[in-house]
Amino acid sequence: MKMICINCPKGCELDVSRGADGAVVVTGHSCPRGETYGRSELVNPTRMVTGLVRVAGMRKPLPVKTRTPVPKGKIPDVLFALHQTTVQLPVKIGDVIIPGVAGTDVDIVATANM
Amino acid sequence: MQDVIVVGAGVVGCAVARELTRYNLNVAVLESGSDIAEGASKANSAIVHAGFDAKPGTAKARFNVLGNRMFEDVCRELKVPFKRNGSLVLAFGSEDEAVLAELKARGETNGVPTEIISQDELRRREPNVSDKATAALWAPTGGICCPYELAFRYAENAAANGAEFFFDAKVVGISGGWRLECEDGRVFEARAIVNCAGIHSDELNNLVSARKYVIEARRGEYMMLDRDEDGTFSATMFQCPSKMGKGILVSPTVDGTVIVGPTAEDIKDKEDKATTYEGLEKVKAGARRTYPGLPLEKVITEFSGLRAHETTAGDFIIGEAPDAARFFNAVGVESPGLTSAPAIGVFLAERVAEALGASHKKPSIISKDVSWWPRTRDMKPEELAEMVERDPSFGRVICRCEGVTEGEIRAAIRARVGARTLDGIKRRTRSGMGRCQGGFCTPRLIEILSAELGLPPESFLLSRKTAPKALSGMIDHRRSQAGDEFLDVLVVGAGPAGLAAACAAREAGARGIIVLERDDAPGGILQQCIHNGFGLHRFKEELTGPEYAQRFVDKANSLDIPVVCGTMVLDISPQAGGDVKVTAMSPRGGLRIYRTRSVILAMGCRERPRGALMTPGTRPAGVYTAGTVQRLVNMDGIMPGKRVVILGSGDIGLIMARRLTFSGAKVLACVEIMKKSSGLMRNVVQCLNDYDIPLLLSHTVTDVEGREHVTGVKVAKVDDNLKPIPGTEIHYDCDTLVLSCGLIPENELTKKAGVEMDPKTRGPKVDAKMATSVPGIFAGGNVVRVYDLVDWVSRDSEIAGRSAAEHAKALRG
Repeated sequence: MKMICINCPKGCELDVSRGADGAVVVTGHSCPRGETYGRSELVNPTRMVTGLVRVAGMRKPLPVKTRTPVPKGKIPDVLFALHQTTVQLPVKIGDVIIPGVAGTDVDIVATANM
Repeated sequence: MQDVIVVGAGVVGCAVARELTRYNLNVAVLESGSDIAEGASKANSAIVHAGFDAKPGTAKARFNVLGNRMFEDVCRELKVPFKRNGSLVLAFGSEDEAVLAELKARGETNGVPTEIISQDELRRREPNVSDKATAALWAPTGGICCPYELAFRYAENAAANGAEFFFDAKVVGISGGWRLECEDGRVFEARAIVNCAGIHSDELNNLVSARKYVIEARRGEYMMLDRDEDGTFSATMFQCPSKMGKGILVSPTVDGTVIVGPTAEDIKDKEDKATTYEGLEKVKAGARRTYPGLPLEKVITEFSGLRAHETTAGDFIIGEAPDAARFFNAVGVESPGLTSAPAIGVFLAERVAEALGASHKKPSIISKDVSWWPRTRDMKPEELAEMVERDPSFGRVICRCEGVTEGEIRAAIRARVGARTLDGIKRRTRSGMGRCQGGFCTPRLIEILSAELGLPPESFLLSRKTAPKALSGMIDHRRSQAGDEFLDVLVVGAGPAGLAAACAAREAGARGIIVLERDDAPGGILQQCIHNGFGLHRFKEELTGPEYAQRFVDKANSLDIPVVCGTMVLDISPQAGGDVKVTAMSPRGGLRIYRTRSVILAMGCRERPRGALMTPGTRPAGVYTAGTVQRLVNMDGIMPGKRVVILGSGDIGLIMARRLTFSGAKVLACVEIMKKSSGLMRNVVQCLNDYDIPLLLSHTVTDVEGREHVTGVKVAKVDDNLKPIPGTEIHYDCDTLVLSCGLIPENELTKKAGVEMDPKTRGPKVDAKMATSVPGIFAGGNVVRVYDLVDWVSRDSEIAGRSAAEHAKALRG
């Protein structure tokens, strides 16, 4: 399977396949992150999700992110959870906004001080 | 019951209304649009014609010459900028020269002084003119004036003298006496009617008079060039006129831009103000005849206007209809309509007053009040300082390209005939009319309009206002702690470049440092880049934009570097003693002068606006640059639309495709004219492919549809020369078009400071120490060249910071 690594702007073209023994083989990467990405993309593709949540009494929203990548298939559920959330100020970078979002063990954290 | 109703609030209607208020008459103005000057007065050549070319004996000749003579007085009274810059008609060879002689003779009959000048004299006066021009006709009484500005001020003055204005009042029926019925059911009655309905004036006349007129819409397409081009020509440059009009001209405007156009094309649809590919090509070709060096990269916008060409008489029809008492016409007022407006106003007001037996008001002098706002960019520093002290909002610059302050914008909304739309503000104050075409100020204008009028911000995304609903107040994060000492380093801009440079300067031993930022918070454009992917090289982890910015804000705080927000740097001038004088303005501090040993330029970049892309079509609401959409969605909590097409595949466009999808919009396609995406592959993968958004390579938008708001776009495949291939069009129904077509370093201050520029990067030339050609001035970040990665921005800006500190230390001794 051919794919483009999304870890950095270089965008290496990876070739990811399963060897005869069932082990995942990644070629084309130029750093360890690329290899990890290739393997994960074949077995369980994940993405960081960045988004916005409502702030009580304000129009300006709070930017947030998943602390670590979540399975791709969970993105709609993560977005839905963000949509359902309203936070009270003040908030600092790194504050947990939603613990274990959408049935995962990944927290949603604030990415700005407000 | 009114005494007089003027139908149409273009420049002619407003002039008539204002002159009518000199008499003891109740005056009302009905306008079918939502603002003053929405028809031909909004989009024309902005020329006060000398009057040599109108056929002697016609109404056009008469009102042109009379009107022209009135301009100084009218513009002085109404405080409208006007310049008698003179006109030149160019001849290209002997055939044209014969036409010049004819025009000169016609001018003599009309009482307009002209003179034929030689090629040498022409080249001496206008060095940028084509050397193929063999002679020219010089008419010193030609001038330039902004047509809608004149209309606005006529309207303001009319309102100050008691005239009432009614908008969205489209007259659909008229019966004797007179009774006017509007489309929305409103009924108005008056003893006399003045028909100034422009392109629709034939229709209104034909409802009451047996003398039928036929107006054809004659479309003219134009291009506007950036202020950088000011001074290219001092006179208005015409070519020899043809049957279809005065040909394509190149002229300075009173606002310091250069206007090029128009084409002349008779069209069926009286509302079709779309620009076309062919039309803009004609404008380019025509303009190059006069100005071979026409720089297309300086085009900031294109537009088209409709002239009301009357076909049965071919002249202005001014006066009472022969078979309808107290029904007065101003029909077929095409060029020279702007020039003639003051004279038509006086003439028709006299006729109406006579017919109604009205006398002049006593005292006979009408109010001079135009309840207008001062233009801060035209004010002297001490005047401005005083103004800001009285009202700090005059110290907050909203439109950086044209230097328009919040105070001016609020005044434009609060005026008697005040702005109700983004477009209304734009035309009254010029906010959004400059080189970035509203890219930066649109979200701020929405905020101000919303607060002033008590309407939700979304209502201003449409061109007309909708249901009223109150909104909470504005947010203000200003932080002011300016120092008065002689500084070592002054940094312009508190984005990643400015903050990194300031921190590095401190670490290299600079003492007095200050960072000036025009936005209300530090962080620059990273504040709105809420996606991840920043900082892999520098911090070895993947941060979002606000997180990355915060690292530098925290660092600047820990190094005790003051960051003063809400402050716009207006001028940077190197001094004889080796130091640099920096003039800045803020709502709290007013106008302030800093003396510093080093300056670091870190103003960042801006997006290419639609005008620079020359996409044909109408100019509806709903077309935004990607960065503007990013600000609206991520910082202001405003969704611009539901069905979106993205033109250009720059990184911000790709990122916004995903963001808009996340926020509930349907992104129909991302359209890229080149064979590959201009954005990073990782963004194509994670922003488009992940969400099945098609990327159409070798395609472009060939038409934008919709009058009030975008209703759709046409997309076509392009050939190897990037020309659209006929028959390959795809149509998309959409309400939003997002442009992501590149970034341009923002260097207006740099140029004013006399720094040598690099035409390739469009930034200042810098050496390995990030020093510019002017001693003491350094630069870092996107102001130098557009970077792919913020990590390289901060790295190179740190070099600038260290160099600036060394320079300051050496000067300090």
